[in-house]
Amino acid sequence: MSAFLKNRNARAFLLLAVIALALGILGGPQIFSGRTMFSILQQFAVLGPVALALGLTMVIRHFDLSVAGMLGLAGCIAVLCGAGNPLFGIALAVGFGAVFGALQGAIITTLRLSSIGVTLGGLLILNGLAYVITGNRELGYPRPDVAQFIDATLGDVLSFRALVAIAIFAVIGLVMSRTRLGRDIIASGSDPAAAAIAGVPVKSITILVMTFSGAAAALAGGLLSFSLTTASPTALADVLVPAAAAAIIGGVSLSGGRGHPIGIAGGVLVLCLLRSGLSALNVEPYVHGITVGFVLAMVGLLDSTDLERRLINLRRAFARPRPS
Amino acid sequence: MTSQLDWLWPSPSTLFRWCIVVALAVFAVTTPGFLSPTSLRSLLSTASLVGCVAVGMTFVTMSGNIMSFSLGASLSATTVVFVWLLPYGAAAAVTGALLFGAGINAVQGLVIGYFRANPIIVSMAAFALILGVFTMLTGGRGIYITTNDAEIFNTNFSFVPGPLMAFAACALVGQAILRFTRFGRQVFLLGSNPRAALAAGMEPWRTVTWAYALAGLFTTVTAVLIASRYGSGDLQHGTGFEYQAISAVLVGGTAIQGGNGSVLRTFIGTMLIAIFKAVLILRGFSIELQQLLIGVVVLLVIMLQWRAGDLK
Repeated sequence: MSAFLKNRNARAFLLLAVIALALGILGGPQIFSGRTMFSILQQFAVLGPVALALGLTMVIRHFDLSVAGMLGLAGCIAVLCGAGNPLFGIALAVGFGAVFGALQGAIITTLRLSSIGVTLGGLLILNGLAYVITGNRELGYPRPDVAQFIDATLGDVLSFRALVAIAIFAVIGLVMSRTRLGRDIIASGSDPAAAAIAGVPVKSITILVMTFSGAAAALAGGLLSFSLTTASPTALADVLVPAAAAAIIGGVSLSGGRGHPIGIAGGVLVLCLLRSGLSALNVEPYVHGITVGFVLAMVGLLDSTDLERRLINLRRAFARPRPS
Repeated sequence: MTSQLDWLWPSPSTLFRWCIVVALAVFAVTTPGFLSPTSLRSLLSTASLVGCVAVGMTFVTMSGNIMSFSLGASLSATTVVFVWLLPYGAAAAVTGALLFGAGINAVQGLVIGYFRANPIIVSMAAFALILGVFTMLTGGRGIYITTNDAEIFNTNFSFVPGPLMAFAACALVGQAILRFTRFGRQVFLLGSNPRAALAAGMEPWRTVTWAYALAGLFTTVTAVLIASRYGSGDLQHGTGFEYQAISAVLVGGTAIQGGNGSVLRTFIGTMLIAIFKAVLILRGFSIELQQLLIGVVVLLVIMLQWRAGDLK
């Protein structure tokens, strides 16, 4: 049991169980209907790839702020270019995401810059691009058949869109657990200098992970816009906080070298369950915001570097007041 | 450390920066209509509102904490607090707003400094918490100023717009704090070398807490001005301000990893972005294209910091 508690990937699932239990007590078992499950997985289809993208960059000690902009812009690209052939639209969006991500990765590695700065510029550029190509309008997507296809239920609770997200998690999970590439990714996050000396191509891995990050966020954004049959250039930071929260809850550490797609998937499910569960309970939407903020603050506090040392200091200070 | 006479022999990247400044100035002055009083005044007012937040953000960045994602949310919440307190008089409202703004940011600074929690995570959590709690308190609706108590914050000083005076005052005070106080030197040390700060026997958490409290104070100045200008407290007022503020800080040339920069640079950065925007409008570029070009400028300026990245 203690090994389970110490496993960072298990943390998210433990939290998931606690939240499910709380929701079950508050709303009765009928809250876990097929409809709730479907809505959880639909949200997973959007937040999942973005959280995985951001989470993997955090594993290699970077932080890709631009995923938030990529999600919006990719939706606009897919809707603008995918009216005739939706596959072409989505391929263009994903291709653009990959190229943009690779470009950011190349800038970060060759100029040895902080990824937050570079991707902050990237975020502003992507957001600006979305405004330019849409002319600051909300675009309609004239293909309701595509929306129906990607959101149709396969089985009871799964849609095509959710299946794509799950497949991405499965593939990246296998890569991280079973391949040399996965071990190299962990190594370049744990100690970039030592990894480089040991022969890990840290720079190429950074570019590769940034490329994946752009492509995954673009895929999620494109499919989301198809599903909503609209795309608009707004929503600058709406996805950033939940994506970071999901990754952190899922056991990714911002100091790098820690994190696995399974844990991230758990973190995403925690947030999706919270949102769907709270809305099934007819709770006001702000409760979800407060809960996410609270959970994020708690996990951030638990992961802080000096927590144990400071708590010991505090306990000492209160147990034995200094003689005056 | 850089010597006092460094500006006489600028490094290539500094030289490049000054070239951009001069090119922009020439471009601006030759743009027809740029020097008209109305255009200048509206330009300076809008820029000053971002500028005060950017002065606050400078302290967060300089102390080695990259940026705060919650300054925009904090700004929105402070406009609401200000409007709530206005019935008790303008002085009480300003005092309360300042205390509130400094308080909610100081708490973040305390968590970041004392427990060494990650600044990105803490400020993102604060963003969600502030907006959530204030949506609960206000029901998500804006609240309006019904009296004319806030009119004094709306006045202009003959030609000079009121917000510009406030921004200039903030920049002067901020620069003085960063340059001439013990706290300011500690911010420099903490941002450039946190280990050395610890080894020197500094208690970094005090410095970080104060840096965030100051960020909140300077953000409150903008909150009071915006609430008085629009006659309301609203959770939409501050949306996106954190990104505009960090853009101004970085365009001014403050290093994103901290320890190298100044409030003066932030002042210049704010003005550069404002002039750039104005020139683009007057030359007939669309608002959409402006957003894109400002992103490009921010990325280019960050790429100019490549020397500083060698440390990592």
